[in-house]
Formats: sequence, structure tokens, C-alpha cells
Amino acid sequence: MTAVEEGFKAISPAEFFYKNKELAGFSNPARALYQTIRELIENSLDATENYGILPTVKVSIRELEKIPEGGYYEVVVEDNGVGIPPKYVPQAFAQLLFSSKYVLRQSRGMFGLGAKMAVLYAQITTGQPADVIVAPIKSKHIYSFKLKIDIKENKPVILSFSVTSNLHGKHGTLVRLVTLGDWSRAKQRIYEYIKRTAIIAPYAEIGFRDPEGNYILFERVIDKLPPPAREILPHPHGVDIETLKDIIRAKASKPIVETLKESFQGVGETTARRILEEAKIDPGKKSGELTDMEVEVLVKTMKNFKDVKPPRADYLSYLGNEIITAGLNKVFEPEFVYATTRKPSVYEGHAFIVEVGLAYGGKVPLVEKPLVLRYANKIPLLYDEGSDVVIKVLNESIDFSVYEIEFPAPLVILTHICSTKIPYKGVGKEAVADVPEIEKELENAIRDSLRELRSYILRKRKEMEEIEKAVTIAKYIPEVANSLSKIYKVDPREISVKLLEILNSRLKTFKIDDLSNVVV
Amino acid sequence: MTAVYSSKVDLQAREKALKILYEKFREVLKSIMDGNPPKLVIKKRTLSNTVYDPEKKLLLLGDATFERSFLDLREARKFMQTLLMASIIYESLTNGEYPTIRDLYYRGKHTIRYRKLPSKAIGEENTWEEQSESDSVIRDIEVFTNVLREEMLILSKEKGKVVGELKIRSGDDVIDLSKMGHGAYAIEPTPDLIEFVDVNAEFVLVIEKDAVFQQLHRIGFWKKYRAILVTSAGQPDRATRRFVRRLNEELKLPVYVISDSDPYGYYIYSVFKTGSITLSYESERLATPQARFLGVMMTDIFGSDKLRKKPYLTEEERKNFIIKAKERDIKRAKELREYPWFKSDRWQLEIDEFLTRKVKLEIEALAGKGLKFLSDRYIPEKIEVGDWIV
Repeated sequence: MTAVEEGFKAISPAEFFYKNKELAGFSNPARALYQTIRELIENSLDATENYGILPTVKVSIRELEKIPEGGYYEVVVEDNGVGIPPKYVPQAFAQLLFSSKYVLRQSRGMFGLGAKMAVLYAQITTGQPADVIVAPIKSKHIYSFKLKIDIKENKPVILSFSVTSNLHGKHGTLVRLVTLGDWSRAKQRIYEYIKRTAIIAPYAEIGFRDPEGNYILFERVIDKLPPPAREILPHPHGVDIETLKDIIRAKASKPIVETLKESFQGVGETTARRILEEAKIDPGKKSGELTDMEVEVLVKTMKNFKDVKPPRADYLSYLGNEIITAGLNKVFEPEFVYATTRKPSVYEGHAFIVEVGLAYGGKVPLVEKPLVLRYANKIPLLYDEGSDVVIKVLNESIDFSVYEIEFPAPLVILTHICSTKIPYKGVGKEAVADVPEIEKELENAIRDSLRELRSYILRKRKEMEEIEKAVTIAKYIPEVANSLSKIYKVDPREISVKLLEILNSRLKTFKIDDLSNVVV
Repeated sequence: MTAVYSSKVDLQAREKALKILYEKFREVLKSIMDGNPPKLVIKKRTLSNTVYDPEKKLLLLGDATFERSFLDLREARKFMQTLLMASIIYESLTNGEYPTIRDLYYRGKHTIRYRKLPSKAIGEENTWEEQSESDSVIRDIEVFTNVLREEMLILSKEKGKVVGELKIRSGDDVIDLSKMGHGAYAIEPTPDLIEFVDVNAEFVLVIEKDAVFQQLHRIGFWKKYRAILVTSAGQPDRATRRFVRRLNEELKLPVYVISDSDPYGYYIYSVFKTGSITLSYESERLATPQARFLGVMMTDIFGSDKLRKKPYLTEEERKNFIIKAKERDIKRAKELREYPWFKSDRWQLEIDEFLTRKVKLEIEALAGKGLKFLSDRYIPEKIEVGDWIV
């Protein structure tokens, strides 16, 4: 299924979003530059991995002009994704709330809105149009657009359009914006974001050229993609009044029993009728004719209806052990790495999966408390760490000394929560709320991982002790051999070899191959 | 230090020691060649394995043993040191040398350079640091082989001296110990190789203090009283103890000991008599269980109503000669009081007197009262009346 078949629809004016740009993270030039990069990269990753393509994403930021509040920057993000069919490009990039609705899919972007906000913000601050070049998969042509948004009408304006031959069979999307930003204040954030993205997406190749001319390339270290996120109907337990109203508005002329069957997972003819019976609503009543009162009762009934299968989780895109460990290995080069993926669980009608990865030792820096890398739906969460459920669990439920860890320690803890609906705390969408079900899964996953780490640490400690023991004894071997050879006229080398054999035979985890490794 | 000439007794001693060393350590080599972890089973030289044998009246080594295994982390270094020392002793015996324990220390001391793992940093360690370490393995080898260092021709710095009407053969020379002038014969480190040729004496007098020994020697005490006069010059070394033991055992001469009147002096006497805690494995050969403590006793200074004994010192003299005991003297006396070989009533009385009076007296103080008092009254009178402690 491609993005274009999801039933795009224009709803709300661009003006509203411009006036409320803080909501989407464009509150100041630094934040806006960071948000622009972030939205475009996330679009690129969604456009590749969800379609089975190993992502290659090239990002560049170039400073065009310095001004007191920051500067004007050219931002280019290019990917090898599926490429939106040209006829949808104007809406996709220049009409707000052009997006799929009423179906759920775990995706990085929250409203399908981010890229459009970036275009809008660029247009407002610099007056420059967005360049969008697409090469849909298997297309013989490459399509180039210059786009603007008609803010009043919330309509795309195509300034120019051209078609060239796709001689090399490329596919993907390139977006170029000229926007107001503040590199010096956004720099650290942007680097941190890209680095953290590279950790969780080790199957992606991400190149980044910054305005100072530095180039950093995160290479692909694994060819395995996470399972693609698939669309799923909402679960009756997860419904709310607004959503239900939207649904019945869209299907106003259908009998309510049909609407329920078509719009919710786990609801067939029998279940739909039983729900309606319990809500005392005529199954044949047209959806659009339900009163507000009836909608309210229906929501309540659905939420509490017991005899329905739990939400399905097989459409969630989790990372799995291989990808998490590959990412941690790539960036931290630890001596110990471990990852665990919990079985799906449910909160308030939404399925979720918790994953935890640990990296320990090696090149992991020593830290006074664990370096926590939080992710939700593969998006790095960089801010508001203090109010996140992960930190709450770590602070309140985990005693590291139980796991033989004493700080400062070289420890990284990665957490990934994936769900069709992440329960974010506040509008910043940087912290996950402490939902008890998620808290419990996190705690179990962290404990499970730390137990593995503990046995590694203990094993390693034993090994170190044994190595120390081996050296302590081995260094005396030549002395003992020489002493005996003086009394018994035996070749000291022969005695040394024997003694080393005896020593090695008593060592479990470590052997000294040659005495010259120890004796100088 | 290679000897160009060795007496016959030396050669015999060498061959015997070489043979025992060779036999005892062969087990180690065999273990290794058979692929088994090598180890030495040695009697423990600890206070807890030091037993007072009331029959023999000797401090002896008990039967408890320990294993010094090369693969035991705590023992590996000591194991290496023991073998290193054994090989050095073996070589010096073969080469006809007479090393001192200090020589052995230097001969074996060198640096082992090794690589620490996994860091590969270079570490350095000496085969031994202090002479106490090499001395300790010498003692282990003595216990392990049951051969004393003197029998392995290892010399230690000896300070014991002797004069008297006694002729001995040392090496190939016969020496008359009554013809030493103002000097005295220095007891050799290997007293077992001495042969007694002729003796004319009635008793042996051992003086802890070298100065008092010299004074008694110059006024001809040994001639007048037909004594053999010995000094240990402080803590007695092994050779002096062995020599005194032989005088008692082979020449049947009673042995009297005079030391300072304080716990350290009493202990020196007990080392002659019963042996020392650190060298208990040699007691059977070094101690003289019949040795008598002649003085100086607390009761010599203060007299004793219980013993109906009058003091040798007047009130005035006591004021001049006695010294206040220090805290550590008191502490030592309390330890001594608990040793089984000081448990006799007579010793308890002396020690209790010391603990009550909290004073001590050096032998020099008695000589200070008058050398003649010491030589012609104190010593002969106490021997005469039998005022000694066994």
C-alpha cells in the first residue's frame, strides 16, 4: 500500500497552524531549523523502510546569509524512498492536513503535517518556494516542482513544474527549502538528533553536511529492516467521542451497525449488534442520525465491552534484538550489548511494544548515571527527560547495585516504545506519560536486560580474577624451572613448558598460549 | 668465596646435606613432569604449632603441616622463593662455599619482569625484597628437609664467645681456650664440627652481657672457680646455644645463666633452656633443658619472706641501681607469666614480684656494687646454696 491510497483529504486552514506554530515546534529560528531537519528526515525514513527499502538519506544545511536573529539557510533532504506520485505532490507538501484519517498506523510524523509546516515556515520567513523533486519507484520520469502555499485558501500554488527522463532508474524524493534558522543555537540539537536516529536506524545510511562544511556519514551496518508498520482500524476500547463523531460523519448515510463493522478491529456483525443492543441503539439507524447523547453512550459501551479480542499488535513496527544491538554496537562499540523486545501489551485500547537495549563497557563513556536514549515510534526523544516514564522507572524502581553496577559506569540504556498512539505528556511530545501498563513493561524489560548485564559483569569479573591469577603464577615459572634445573640438570625449558601446561589445565576461562606473553 | 681447602668433617657434612636436598625436592620435579601441580608439605612454624613438651622441657614444633602449592595464589611466590633458595644452597654446597644468610639473600635477589594482562603493562617484582623474606624460606627449608642450616654449611654472624680450661679441635687445629689472652674464642657458626679434646672445669657460666663477661674474664674468674665462661652478647644465636648444649650434654657440666632482671633477661634464659618460638624446630638440638637461672632475680634485690631470703642490696643501693620498668616491660612480663614454661611457682613468684615492684635491674649494676661482690660473693654463694631456678 502506498501513501497515496490512504484517502487524502483537506480539512483545516494553513493560517491556523501558522498562528500556532509553537504547537508544531517552530517557535523560534533555532527550534525551527531543528524541526525542519527532523520532519524531513522522518518523512524520508517513513518513505523508505515502510516499503521495504533500505534508507539512504542525504541531508545538507548551507548558510546563505547571516542576520541578527540567526540566518537564512538552504536545507536539502534527499532520500531513496518510494517517491510520491507527481499528481499528489502539491497537496502532500503544500496543503495542510492533507493526510490519511480514521485509520491508524504507527508512523514517525504525528499529523502527516511536519513537512508542510516546514514548507509553510520557510515561505513565511524567506518568501522562497519549496523545491520538490520526485522519482516514483519504476517511473521513467523525474518530476520537479516549485511550490508555495496559498495561506488564506490553504491551497497549493505550483510556481513551476518540469519533467525529465529518469535515465538511471532512481527513485525517491528531494526537498529543498530556504528558511530562517539559527545554526549556532540548533547545532548541538541537530547533531544529537541525527546521531540518535542513526543508533535506532542502523539499517539506514545517513550523510550530513553542516553549514560549517563538516561532513559526517553514518554508514549502514545491517541490511535488515524492521517489519513495516501496517494500517489497522482502531480498537473499540481505544475510541473517544471526537473520533467516533468523525467516523459517523464520514459514514453518515450508512447504518450504524455497518459503520461499526467497517471502522473497528475485532468487531464483526455479532459483536456490533451486541454493542448496539447494550447501548440501546437501533442497529439500522443511519450513522449520521445518532444524537450526541447516543454517541456518548456508544463510546462508553465500546470502551467497556468485554467480549472483544484484545488490540492486535502484529501491525506494529518494532525493531527487534538484531537492529537495536547493531545500532548500539555501531555508535558506542561497547563490550557488552543486549536487547530485548517485550510481548505486545495494551493500554486504553492501544497496543504497544516496549523494547530495551543495553550497551556497557568498551567505548561507552563513564557516566554518573546511565545515559538514557529514549525513543517512541523510532523517533528520538531528546528533551523533557525528567518527566518521562522511563526516567521515573529508572529512578524509582531500579537499584543498580543489585546488578553489580557502581557509578560512574559505562552504561547506555535504550528504550523504545512503539504504539499506534504514544501517550505523550504535554504538547512538546518529548516525554511519555507514566501509564501504568507501559511503566510495568518498561520495568520488566529493564530488569531483564540488567540481569543479563549482571551475569556478564560477574562472568567478566571472574575472568579478570583468573587472568590475574594466571599472571601471578606464570611469572614465577622460569624462576622455578631454573631452580630445579640447577639441582637436577634438566632443561629448564622443558620444566617451563610442563608448568605452563599444568597452570593452563587449571584455568577455566583463559589460557596463556606462550610464556613469552607474560614473562619479559 | 670458593674454598681451596676443606676439612674432612666439612666434606662429609656437605655430602650429607646435598643428598637430602636432592631427595627431598625430587618430589617437586616428579610432580611437574607427571603433569601434577607441584607442592611442598611443610610443618607449620606458627605460635599455634609451637608446643611446650613438659617431659623434655622443650619448646618443640608440633605436627601440623601446611601445603605450599605453586598453583595457590597465596603461596606461589613463597613456593618460587623456596625453590630458588634450595637451588642456591645446593649450588653453594656443591661449590664448597660457606655462604652467610646475607650472602644467600643477595645471591637470590633479582628482578622478575612480566607483563600484566590484559593491559600488557610491564610489572616488576623482586624475588625477595627484605632479608627477612629469604631468611624465612631458609627456615622453611630447614623444617622441610630436617637439616639445619649449620649442617648445610650456611654461616650466620655469630657473636658468642667462650674462655676456660677447654681444648677443642676446630677444622684441623687444636685450640686451647685458656690461652686466649684478654680475648676469647669466638664460637664458630658450625659448632657441631667442633670436637672436645680436653676439659678441666666444674660448671659453665653463661653471661648475657658481653661487658660483664670481659670483666669476669680479666679478673680470672674462670681460673679461680674452674668455670667455662660463655657470653651470648644479648639474644643468643644458634651457634652459642648449640655449643652450650654440647657442653652440658657431652661434658656433663651444669650450666648457669645470668641475665638482666627484667622480662627480656628472663626470656633469654628460657631460650637457652627451652628454645625460642621462632626456631622451635631446632630446640631438640639447641636447647639445654638442664640450664639453671642463677640471676639476677627480683628476690636477690628485695629479698623474700616466703623464701626466707635476704636481699643482696641495701635500701640505699636499691635507690641507686634499680630502674623504673617501662610500659612495654610490664606488658612483656604479663605475656611471660602465661607461657607454660614459666608456670612454675618459683618463676611466678619472681614475675609477680616484678609486676608488683615495677622495677628492673641490669647485671652491670651488681658489678657496679663491686666486681669482687659479683665474682666472689654473689655468684659462688648462689651456686653454693643452690639459689637458682630450673
